Amino acid sequence: MKINMECSQSNIELVIIEKNITNHNNQKSTSLMFTKRSLIRSITCILKKLHAGYFRISLSFGGQALLWKTLIDPTNDTSKSRHVLSMLPSSVFIVLWSMSLFILALLSLLYLLRCLFFFKMVKEEFLHHVGVNYLFAPWISWFLLLQSAPFIAPKTITYLILWWVFTVPVVVLDVKIYGQWFTKGKRSFLTTVANPTSHLSVIGNLIGAQAAAEMGWKESAVCLFSLGMVHYLVLFVTLYQRLSGGDRLPALLRPVFFLFFAAPGVASLAWESIVGDFDTLSKMLFFLSLFLFMSLVCRPALFKRSMRRFNVAWWAYSFPVTVLAMASTNYAQQVKGTVSHILMLILLALSVLVSFSLTLFTLLNSKMLLPDNDPIASILIV
Amino acid sequence: MENHITLEIIEQASPPETPSLIKYISSNELEDFDEFDSEFPSPISKESEETYNHQRKPSISVSMPLCYKETQLQSLNNNNNKNVSFSGENVIIRDDLASGIAMSEPPRQSKFKSQPMPKGVAFQQDGSQTRKANRNHNQPGIKMFRDKRFDSFKTWSGGGLERQLSILRGKEPIGNAQDGNNATRSFDRALPVDRYFDALEGPELETLKSSEEIMLPHDKQWPFLLRFPVSSFGICLGVSSQAILWKTLATSPTTEFLHITPKINLILWYISAVLIATIFAVYILKLLFYFEAVRREYYHPIRVNFFFAPWIALLFLALGVPPSVTKNLHQSLWYILMAPILFLELKIYGQWMSGGQRRLSKVANPSNHLSVVGNFVGALLGASMGLIEGPIFFFAVGLAHYTVLFVTLYQRLPTNATLPKELHPVFFLFVAAPSVASMAWAKMQGSFDYGSRIAYFIALFLYFSLAVRINFFRGFKFSLAWWAYTFPMTGAAIATIRYSNQVPNIVTKSLCIALALISTFTVIALLLSTILHAFVFRDLFPNDIAIAISDRKRKPHKHWLFRYGSQDSKEIENYLKFVNTDESSLDDSTPQPSSNDTDHNLPK
Repeated sequence: MKINMECSQSNIELVIIEKNITNHNNQKSTSLMFTKRSLIRSITCILKKLHAGYFRISLSFGGQALLWKTLIDPTNDTSKSRHVLSMLPSSVFIVLWSMSLFILALLSLLYLLRCLFFFKMVKEEFLHHVGVNYLFAPWISWFLLLQSAPFIAPKTITYLILWWVFTVPVVVLDVKIYGQWFTKGKRSFLTTVANPTSHLSVIGNLIGAQAAAEMGWKESAVCLFSLGMVHYLVLFVTLYQRLSGGDRLPALLRPVFFLFFAAPGVASLAWESIVGDFDTLSKMLFFLSLFLFMSLVCRPALFKRSMRRFNVAWWAYSFPVTVLAMASTNYAQQVKGTVSHILMLILLALSVLVSFSLTLFTLLNSKMLLPDNDPIASILIV
Repeated sequence: MENHITLEIIEQASPPETPSLIKYISSNELEDFDEFDSEFPSPISKESEETYNHQRKPSISVSMPLCYKETQLQSLNNNNNKNVSFSGENVIIRDDLASGIAMSEPPRQSKFKSQPMPKGVAFQQDGSQTRKANRNHNQPGIKMFRDKRFDSFKTWSGGGLERQLSILRGKEPIGNAQDGNNATRSFDRALPVDRYFDALEGPELETLKSSEEIMLPHDKQWPFLLRFPVSSFGICLGVSSQAILWKTLATSPTTEFLHITPKINLILWYISAVLIATIFAVYILKLLFYFEAVRREYYHPIRVNFFFAPWIALLFLALGVPPSVTKNLHQSLWYILMAPILFLELKIYGQWMSGGQRRLSKVANPSNHLSVVGNFVGALLGASMGLIEGPIFFFAVGLAHYTVLFVTLYQRLPTNATLPKELHPVFFLFVAAPSVASMAWAKMQGSFDYGSRIAYFIALFLYFSLAVRINFFRGFKFSLAWWAYTFPMTGAAIATIRYSNQVPNIVTKSLCIALALISTFTVIALLLSTILHAFVFRDLFPNDIAIAISDRKRKPHKHWLFRYGSQDSKEIENYLKFVNTDESSLDDSTPQPSSNDTDHNLPK
């Protein structure tokens, strides 16, 4: 394993030296011990480097899974393109979903281990203005998987229990973080900590609202929705004002600017689930998301610096585009017409392309997945 | 290089007092220079035109080949005291009040060495540029016909156009190949927004601070095109909104008792159509001939919002079209009209979002409302044409950005340099967005429902809170931009009429009439003062100082070239640019050469 190799460079030497010393009798047992040791070392290495930002990967996969579920679900959109898309074999979708489940489970497990063994690092993440927002990412991913699960229908008891399991941490985090924005001291003021990743807290609420609405729990859906939207309003204004200039986001993290249009996209989907219909408010949110997307796409210079080397922040591109594609699908369903369907197809193609290329890039550059100078990790690693 | 001293004398339209002998010599000597191109390592040839020294000192600069930086300029006027200063590389002749040799060149030059061509140079690479610059320097004598001071603002194509024109007129085609090149080359770098804040003051950022200098002559009247600001489109806004008002008055059920004839709308509409066409034509001429000036207006934090004004005026025209002219407009017209607005918005809101030096907390000012109102007007027009999705799109975008702008302006952040400290007619723009939004929402929903009413009441409140402070609106210098501030009043009047259609009672009706009267009177008063300024005072278009600010604040600094004999008390604009103090910007409209972001150099 490549990853193993880079973590355990120091081990090899040790292994070789020791191997030479011991005699052949013990060779087998010692080599076993060494592989165990090197395994432990590599895992420790991974745990040290795996910060919450890696959940972007599970976010993307979850988003894709939900997108495809939306597409192959029965719909009253009678257009040809939708018809063609719905002919996608459900087996492909199940494979996709299982893959997302596997990745999410793996990441969650690793992160859990990190909490157990390196709690100090997790705490530092929590205190960092960018890292703290990614603590929402696992829960969002779980929500996405829950909604796209092929075998759990929304009105079952399993769904309900799982919804509670995922919502409670989100609300706890909400209370902590939003409360900090307006009560705590200087360093936690919204104007100083606001950055595009703060949208993740908003998205967390909105996704929870959507999941609740699917269950039929309208009140909690509206509750979470209003919570998300009001903080989105504050965040939107603050981020546009940019009081403190460059907003302290390292250049490598510029891909998170895509979260700007992820939030209204999720809001649009959530409102649609609540009301049942893609009404004017959903349309307005969808259009806002579309406008922000166009505005970012027209500014490639913003992202140039972060595109020089592969790093896990690139995964931040995928989820927002997927969300936009989902919203456009619902929009096309509501507003029948060629333009909307063309838009839907374009966004779908873009979303699939982005996710696929990211996967490819990651597999090709798996060594760089856990780099030594990751922007967030470097701040957190002592 | 020792011997290649170019003595350049820039002449102006009125020949200076410089003795003809010198001129003769120079033109002779310089004949050969064209062949010396190779000796001139591609310097930045912006020099020539760029710096127009501000103050009326005649100055002659003699530059050594290597450094093409100096540029002379100067127009005569008064004193002839010239100082000749020599330095290792430059021979500068200035008079006592020395003109600044404003270099707008590559920021980081500490020596007069040959400079690499700046990346932003739009056309012509090295060789040809140099050649042209040479020629420019080398044939001063011939240029007596035209006032060269404004060349830096001219477009290359404009220069070519003039050449054609002058050929047609039978003048000799002055070695004017270079006339064109000059211009924009000198300003390949966009002025950072901080320069505008530093150099200008006043609620419209029009007045020059006393410590600043401008690049064009202070005392002379500039060419008309250079004096024609983009805020002239405000006139179109004012007049066309009046047309809509009178149309609404004539066709609304609640105001039928007034028996307003639709002819007023017709006349006003034709007038505004003609006005818009004229102003468009003039501005397009300015774009063709003085592209640099247009560019500088675009980078001005307040004027940039007026770039929305032409399109909004066209939208108003479409809204106010008299029923006798046409009943239904084609839907594709809407798409055509909204395309430029969409494009401008993507640019400007993107600048707000990406931070950098044009972020909102820094540049927010009431004129930004112009960039937001366009959305609502477009939504209104689209809805009245029967479109559904398009209006919702623009309404959503406008609403989101209006919220941001509204909060920011109300906050009056201390980091915000552009907000006028005292009341000024520009504040009436606050009323524009909510009133148009209420009308747009009403049209989209089909009736003046709660959403529209909320927006309408907000507009009304803002209107009254400004109207009662009317006393504070005195004592401001009249400017053309005031026309733009009348359309919110008209908009509020129209919204009131629509509201009274829904809720007809005596209060709303009287409010209609009152607001309509106020707006009409204001427009008439404005019209009168415009005519007064145009024909009596003749200062309707004063020199547009705001676009002529120099690139660099004048300050003395250590790397002065040695000048002796210079007795000037004021500082001379330094040749050498320091590193800009701007923070590294994410924004692509600040093409500062930096080691990391070299791709930001192209001004966009």
